[in-house]
Amino acid sequence: MNSNHRMVGRRRSSEAKQYDMLLRVLLIGDSGVGKTCILYRFVEDDFTMSHISTIGIDFKLKTVEVNGKRIRVQIWDTAGQERYETITKQYYRRAQGVLLVYDVTSEKSFTNISKWANDVDEYAPEDVERMLIANKSDDRDWRVISKQQGQKLADLYRMSFFETSAYRNVNIKEAFLALTNNIIRRQGIIPAPDNSCVKDGKCIHDLDMDLTAGDVTPLTDTEETKTGACSACSVV
Amino acid sequence: MDPSGPVQQLLSQGEKCVSAADAYLVQGRARVSRVAALVETETAFGPNFGFFMFGTKRMPVQGSDLTLVTVIPVKEDFAVEVIDDPSQDLLGSDVPVKVCGSGQVLTLNLPFGSKSGNFLTALRRAISIYTSQPPAEVFQPFAWLEKYELMTATADRSDWPWSGTGLDAMAAEIVTEGFEDNFADSLSFDDAASLASQQDLGDSEADGSGLEPVNVSRGGSASTMGSMMANPPSVREPIVKMYMLKEEAKYTHLKTFRIFAGTWNVNGQPATESLKAWLAKDSTPPDLYAVGFQELDLSKEAFVFNDSAREEEWVKAVTHGLHPEASYRRVRLIRLVGMMLLVFVRSEHNKFLSQIEAQTVGTGIMGKMGNKGGVAIRFDFHNTSFCIVNSHLAAHTEHYERRNQDYSDICARMQFNLTQPPLTIHKHNVVLWVGDLNYRLSDIEISEVKALIEKEMFWALMEHDQLKRQMNERSVFKDFKEASVNFIPTYKYDPGTDDWDTSEKCRVPAWCDRVLCKGDSVSAVEYRSHRELKLSDHKPVSCLFDIGVKVIDEDNYKRVFEEVIRKLDKLENEFLPSVSLSCVDLKFERIKFLEPQKKTISITNTGQVPCQFEFICKLDEKEYCKPWLNVQPSLGFIMPGDSYPIELEIYVDKNTAGRLNSGEDSLEDILVLHLDGGKDYFVTVQGDFIPSCFGSSIEALCNMRGPIREVPVARLVDLEAGSPSETSPEDSFSTLPIPKEIWLLVDHLYKHALCQEDLFQQPGLHSEIEEIRDCLDTGMPDTIPGQPHSVAECLLMFLDSLPEPVVPHQYYQSCLDSCTRFELCEQLMSQVPEHHRNVFKYLTAFLRELLKYQDDNKRDPKMLAMIFGGLLLKPKPDEAKRQNNQQTARRRATFIYQFQVNPYDG
Ligand SMILES: Nc1nc2c(ncn2[C@@H]2O[C@H](COP(=O)(O)OP(=O)(O)OP(=O)(O)O)[C@@H](O)[C@H]2O)c(=O)[nH]1
Ligand SMILES: [Mg+2]
Repeated sequence: MNSNHRMVGRRRSSEAKQYDMLLRVLLIGDSGVGKTCILYRFVEDDFTMSHISTIGIDFKLKTVEVNGKRIRVQIWDTAGQERYETITKQYYRRAQGVLLVYDVTSEKSFTNISKWANDVDEYAPEDVERMLIANKSDDRDWRVISKQQGQKLADLYRMSFFETSAYRNVNIKEAFLALTNNIIRRQGIIPAPDNSCVKDGKCIHDLDMDLTAGDVTPLTDTEETKTGACSACSVV
Repeated sequence: MDPSGPVQQLLSQGEKCVSAADAYLVQGRARVSRVAALVETETAFGPNFGFFMFGTKRMPVQGSDLTLVTVIPVKEDFAVEVIDDPSQDLLGSDVPVKVCGSGQVLTLNLPFGSKSGNFLTALRRAISIYTSQPPAEVFQPFAWLEKYELMTATADRSDWPWSGTGLDAMAAEIVTEGFEDNFADSLSFDDAASLASQQDLGDSEADGSGLEPVNVSRGGSASTMGSMMANPPSVREPIVKMYMLKEEAKYTHLKTFRIFAGTWNVNGQPATESLKAWLAKDSTPPDLYAVGFQELDLSKEAFVFNDSAREEEWVKAVTHGLHPEASYRRVRLIRLVGMMLLVFVRSEHNKFLSQIEAQTVGTGIMGKMGNKGGVAIRFDFHNTSFCIVNSHLAAHTEHYERRNQDYSDICARMQFNLTQPPLTIHKHNVVLWVGDLNYRLSDIEISEVKALIEKEMFWALMEHDQLKRQMNERSVFKDFKEASVNFIPTYKYDPGTDDWDTSEKCRVPAWCDRVLCKGDSVSAVEYRSHRELKLSDHKPVSCLFDIGVKVIDEDNYKRVFEEVIRKLDKLENEFLPSVSLSCVDLKFERIKFLEPQKKTISITNTGQVPCQFEFICKLDEKEYCKPWLNVQPSLGFIMPGDSYPIELEIYVDKNTAGRLNSGEDSLEDILVLHLDGGKDYFVTVQGDFIPSCFGSSIEALCNMRGPIREVPVARLVDLEAGSPSETSPEDSFSTLPIPKEIWLLVDHLYKHALCQEDLFQQPGLHSEIEEIRDCLDTGMPDTIPGQPHSVAECLLMFLDSLPEPVVPHQYYQSCLDSCTRFELCEQLMSQVPEHHRNVFKYLTAFLRELLKYQDDNKRDPKMLAMIFGGLLLKPKPDEAKRQNNQQTARRRATFIYQFQVNPYDG
């Protein structure tokens, strides 16, 4: 009987072909901003309150679907402690995407973003896709960095921007999907239809989160949804 | 595809792949895809054979996809045996075969079919050729296999858990065993490990290699091992398919479709009648038509060239005869000589048909002519696989066994190659078999037959039906069903009439034309013949079926699919190598010059797979750790749950002490522990170094009035940086002429050891040397502890660990060049910085003094010159390697010797 089953493995033509494409995405930022929690939330859909500082480089894999294509994203979680900085930098050069994470309750983690961004400039590939992540958005009591400040910084660095909460599972999936989408669009792996950002040498529009319906639920407070620089241009 | 072509590409000149076959290697419960081949080479004593087995990366194979895993010479211990397995007697199932030789026993499953049959025949022939040859010891014929044996020795890593081949096993296991098991349980440890190793592959595919901050040093076995592993095939896709298949019930439901299956032997006649009476008799139009013809064309052209003028007119006739109340699309037509099969589907279902393939098997003369045999069309309709066969089996009443054999041949040889692995008829969910099967009525007189027909006692006649009898004996059409026959025999009529055959042969009527079915949820609705059609000596037959087809529910499908992907992701993550370290932050206290300290950390494999670990270099560094650190072992292999101790030793010697004393360097390092195919861990090592006069510079020591340990570290750094005392008033007025440590040591020897035999030759006591060192570093003792030999060795060590030797590096070469002329030597020394010159003066004076007591201490001036030459004069460390030969050693000694024998006071 089993042998009968063996062959019925094919799919109808409408079926999306499995993409075994692999993207590498790096999580960086000060110790304690929640990088490991973000990874854990995205991959395992879970959260722990305790902070066990990452001492090394960890990675996990998750298959996502963007524009009907399946993409395997390998997410590298780095140690944020300052003393490991010189070593972790060495991992940048293989990344296609970088999530620069700060903690909205920590001013220092926010100001340090400039340092992390410089490191990315110096050590990551030139066309790496960057995204600024303001984590712990759930923690209203201790918030010291407003969303506007974060957005402004993202604009300055021409990065896309998401406020997230690994704790409340807000925008985690969305951030990763947007980043993945930006990477594949930028690298022209799957050209998005009618989305040529640059015309006559000028950027014609801001980044639109052109994700397939269902892939991304934008931030609920719509005014603030708009992300910063056009990702397709930010490198030019 | 025949794999012998790809195998041939891998062979040397003069070697030939005689036969090759796809096979599965049975390993426990798993089956691994392999290619087995018989290779021949010519020797002086006749042909010589080897059995080869290859791992495959993908199907169909190319030469580059094959990795040789086993070679067995075909000699006296070689044997092949087909294993009798009663559970496997289903026609079309794989043939289990045992291959033994060279101490190995392999169980292979060969796909049922002539290819495998030919392969077995070739193996047997090779064995018989071998036995007819002279004994192997005499003529050593198997030397040509050695190169291959060597290849297998390095290539076969199948015992490594992460070997790519494990994935085939995973896929195979899910198919063969895993259906009833719990999802995760069916994954064996091997399988998931391989899945994880796929991760690596993914890396290397993306852009050349993984995240690689490092390259391997101090060993490098990990990377070697990595490169030795065959790349696993792109495995995720088939695994996803397997899992989806397993979960099929969750996203499909059965929907019944009406299917018409018909057969007619038209006796070579033109299509002059309308086929409506056959094809469109009922009010409801069927969803799918399968219409088979035999003897469509009896012309010579059709037989020899498979070229038929009749094809077109009959296709047209069928097309016109289809049910008028629906529109149909032709799915496929296949014809072999007179056998033609047509499949039509209602247009609205067309898009649910896929993987359509047609094949033919001729079983006529020479086992291949197409006057007899079968044609078949396979397709998937929604999620159910269909195979429709139309066959014309051997004629004549007495030849029923020949008909059985035709059936077996068709089953064995009919193979569809669109899917991987290739499919046989029996591997489909639904099989409909139509045709002129040619089974007759046995053991009954024609008159009795006709009488029973008259009375419509078909059930009684059926007892004489050869097909029913053979099926009951399970000699043919095993597992097929047939609806009960309630129509009068369809053979043989006088063409154009409903009269039984009146020719002189006067055939006995028979049910030659039949429709059989196999599969779950297949039920016959109406089985009948159509007597209205008269042009042939056969009547057409049809059977209507209601078949439950697995229809996909899109939403559920998507849900299950996502679930599967999630589970695979989870498995992949879980099976990544992972360890825990007992300590990631090692602090060493009170590290002293030349006093090693050890700490042990333990690595525990907390993952589910064996892991290979290695300390790797950081970017731009040549070693994975600082020179004062030593890690043992720096790489290793740990089984899940096991722990592995790693020893870390700090040892500060003269090469590192200088920079540590001067504060240029500190005992701090971060080690990167890398897991093969996994994460990296950082281990911080810190040591608290106690500064010592050993390894400090002459200048710095001259600026210290007290012992070094009483000097604040910040001041030490300043002193070494050459900014002397603008500090506290009490010691600002002067620096010492020479380091007090040298003075203390030498003065001690001067006072107590001038007459000591073997001074500077016999080693001191280790414990005393440590004591002396501590004493020099901590206080200004009145007397130095220890016996003279220990003090002497201490002095030598002190000189040896000076960052800048007594004669500074920059004068080294000139000193060697002028060593034979004392005036020049003297002149050179006058240029040397003051403190160095002082030390030099002091030491050479001491040597001259020592030599005055030669009678007592038995010191040879040349020997002393040799010892001190090597310590006072040193090339720069990076030049040392090139220069350190006997000649320079002699010159250095000569230089010192000048000062031993000539009076010198600067
Ligand atoms: N309120 C709140 N706390 C969070 C959130 N994300 C993380 N945390 C907490 O922040 C702490 C640090 O999180 P980690 O993810 O371990 O931090 P990290 O960035 O990985 O730190 P390093 O590994 O040292 O670089 C933990 O105690 C978490 O519980 C969040 O979204 N909201
Ligand atoms: Mg962390």
